[in-house]
Amino acid sequence: MTILDVSEVLKADVLVKGEGCHKAIRHVMASDLMSDVLMVDEEDMLLLTSLASDQVLRTAQIVGAVGVIVVNGKPLPSSMVNVANDLRITLAVSRFSKYDACVAVHAALKPA
Amino acid sequence: MSDAPHTSDARPKGEPEPVAESEPLVLLELIQRLKVRDVMTSKLATVPRSATLREVQELMRKKKISGVPVEENGRFFGLVSIDDIIRALVAGTIDEPCSKHMTTKLVVLEDDMPLSFALRYFDRYHYGRFPVLNRDRRLVGIICQRDINRALLVELTQELNRLETSSSQTPGLDGAYSIYVLREFPICKYDFENAGKAANQIKQVLQEKKFQPKVIRRIAVAAYELEINLCVHSDGGVLSWQISNGRAEIIARDAGPGIEDVAWACRDGTSTANEWIRSLGFGAGMGLVNVKRVSDEFEITSKKGSGTTVKSVINIGEPMAT
Repeated sequence: MTILDVSEVLKADVLVKGEGCHKAIRHVMASDLMSDVLMVDEEDMLLLTSLASDQVLRTAQIVGAVGVIVVNGKPLPSSMVNVANDLRITLAVSRFSKYDACVAVHAALKPA
Repeated sequence: MSDAPHTSDARPKGEPEPVAESEPLVLLELIQRLKVRDVMTSKLATVPRSATLREVQELMRKKKISGVPVEENGRFFGLVSIDDIIRALVAGTIDEPCSKHMTTKLVVLEDDMPLSFALRYFDRYHYGRFPVLNRDRRLVGIICQRDINRALLVELTQELNRLETSSSQTPGLDGAYSIYVLREFPICKYDFENAGKAANQIKQVLQEKKFQPKVIRRIAVAAYELEINLCVHSDGGVLSWQISNGRAEIIARDAGPGIEDVAWACRDGTSTANEWIRSLGFGAGMGLVNVKRVSDEFEITSKKGSGTTVKSVINIGEPMAT
């Protein structure tokens, strides 16, 4: 399942399609604490967060995440789309709460 | 007219940096590293509020300047410009006190702002000069575009000399994968717009050289954590990184305020970050712990009241076969 597939599950608007948008997700992390995200050593990670800032994208790019989905329908600062484009990282925004997003993503990723 | 000048807090928030990405890197580094106080003119010709506009005009002629601050004991009241003088000549008010006709609605800069802020303000407001205040709101200088040009020329010349010296000292390395890269990034306090760019650049260089993704990730994480630390906890500093002889060495160096208890600062979950930093997703007290975790060698030296230096070394091995 790719971040584009997950975006459909979460009814998310995909604002930027980055390099990792067609990669299979191997790990999902839901956090608003970037310090915690930087501690995770998982490849091809999807980051769910309710934090809407440029540093979310920079953090995701540093750990090689496939992309970021901002939940809770948070309004994004205008700079975020530019930063996502610069870093070539996928950025989407969903109205789901973080909890509902986690439940939905877990169900979607669970092997049949 | 109000006695106190109208001075806005000129620090903009959340706006994109107007400097294009295609600007030369050295120039970008300079305008981030230099502070307004490094560039401004601090020896000012000022007048008190009681001075007449004619006296101000005479001062402008003698000093060959086009704007005079009105100031008493460091307190800034306003600015008299050539325009104010011309208007006074036309209206016949040239012998009246300058306090009646000076400009009081002013945009000001603060002396500890990066030069990039000053450039942004010249671009936005099209004023010829900006008064500069310190943290106590005292007038400490004036900055005009000529000051910036002069400072940049001096700094660029010094930078060129430094680069020439360092390139002549670059070690000659043998072997197909031997590389030597040395870069320095100035990091300003609370400059979250730019925090992360150094780590991003290191990552790009290592990806181009096709090193192992896991190694690249460790180096990028160390650099990013140290960059954020400089941004959050120091009064500003420099992140330098070097790749040579199979090792990546990242050094974060600042001039203050220093750490009282280094062992405490290196423990999980200890942080002095404020709520604002925490609201940005940082300040959980895991930064140094994480740098240590991803490093093969880790050193930290600090002294309260002076500076802190953190060094992370990561063995990079050989690039992957292409």
